[in-house]
Amino acid sequence: MPFYRCQVPPNALSLDQRQELARAIADTHCGITNAPRKFVQVVFEEEPVDPQPAPFFINGYNRAGRPPETRDEILAGLREAFARVAGVPLDDVSGHIVEGQASWTMEGGQILPEPGEEGLEWYEEHATAAS
Amino acid sequence: MIEFVCTVQERGFAEGLRPRLAEGIARISEEVLGTPRSDVEVSFEVIRHGFGFRGGELSTTSLVRGRIPRPEQDVRHQYLFALEEMWRDVTGCSAEEVVVSAGDQ
Repeated sequence: MPFYRCQVPPNALSLDQRQELARAIADTHCGITNAPRKFVQVVFEEEPVDPQPAPFFINGYNRAGRPPETRDEILAGLREAFARVAGVPLDDVSGHIVEGQASWTMEGGQILPEPGEEGLEWYEEHATAAS
Repeated sequence: MIEFVCTVQERGFAEGLRPRLAEGIARISEEVLGTPRSDVEVSFEVIRHGFGFRGGELSTTSLVRGRIPRPEQDVRHQYLFALEEMWRDVTGCSAEEVVVSAGDQ
């Protein structure tokens, strides 16, 4: 966690664009939440997407416990990054973020802490770059 | 019925290991949660190379996600640890390369 599943039209994004977008999503999420970068998972799915509400759609799954304003800020940042990297109008990018209990997930060999309860040690332990 | 979806990377590990992983999930569900193996359904979703990223880089991480009958928290954690250990044993991946979640049904 966090996990972002991005639905895009077939052949809409090159590998370079997907990589740039994955980095932008990590930058956005971590810039707002301070979460360790290596925990940000992004998957792209190429499939014909219903143009309503938008041809590009971001399904996010995050830890519960942050204020709704934070969730909105993340989604707005992701939409902007997506539009910039994909070169499409902002209105072509939509999405939503659902949340699950941190204690339901094990990552990096540990049960995830609740947002705000990570502690300095946890951040230091997980501060290394993704592999 | 317990259902698991395992999202795996195309080049992450050998395809032939999937039956052992599914069997492991079913066995642990029976041992820890008491759910009969026949009531555990496991599916695999393969992410094409170049379509999965972690921390902005190409990913080798598997996401193992399921919904289970609401257990006590210590039982849930025992279940998560057992699944994670089994996954690492079978695939040879590191703890950094597997995320396991088991939410309430």
